Amino acid sequence: MDATTVLAEINGNIATVGYGLAAIGPAIGVGIVVGKTIEGVARQPELAGRLQVLMWIGIAFTEALAFIGIATYFIFV
Amino acid sequence: MTDARPESADRTPTSNPVLRRALTLGGIVAAVLLVVSAVLGFVFAGAEGLAGALVGTAMAVVFMGITAASILIANRFSSSDLFVGAFFGIVLGGWLLKFVVFIVLVVLLRDATWLDTTVLFLSLVAGVIASLAVDVIVITKSRMPHVSDVELPAAPSDD
Repeated sequence: MDATTVLAEINGNIATVGYGLAAIGPAIGVGIVVGKTIEGVARQPELAGRLQVLMWIGIAFTEALAFIGIATYFIFV
Repeated sequence: MTDARPESADRTPTSNPVLRRALTLGGIVAAVLLVVSAVLGFVFAGAEGLAGALVGTAMAVVFMGITAASILIANRFSSSDLFVGAFFGIVLGGWLLKFVVFIVLVVLLRDATWLDTTVLFLSLVAGVIASLAVDVIVITKSRMPHVSDVELPAAPSDD
């Protein structure tokens, strides 16, 4: 076995990396959504209610991908 | 620190009726989806399919609903001086907790023999999509006043 093969060897299920990716994406997305909502509310506090609803739908769409991505653990061996 | 806003104003954000209606409508759609997915699961995979469909739909609806519920809970503190901190603490803390619980549930249920994991996955995806559809429908049909912290004629209650 040559050195490249030894160095590149990994054990376990490669799908685990996918679950990590499924967590990173929504974390970035929700961070942006919430951060922008804070900016908006800081500029115009009277719009807080409307911005909350927009934030909520933004979070819902972002986390939907996370749920599906993590739930693929059920079907990927 | 002085607050420039008038004291008598009700500072409850105007998002409450929209979120409350989304939760109510989401619950109704979830009940329908639960029945449909349970029947399909039972037809295609027997008793294990039935259990998987019930668990999958319930997980999707509960976990998608927690965001709206956490915003509603956080808005109860709208008169507090610490509202902004409390709001994002509750909403994002709830979000983090939700995902930890979700991952733990997925790991626990993966090797369960009393349910069909494929049916569970499919009904979870169906539940997530149905929940998103309900959210979008509620938002597009919502009527919200532009302001939260001034005296207005009563906001439409949507009930």
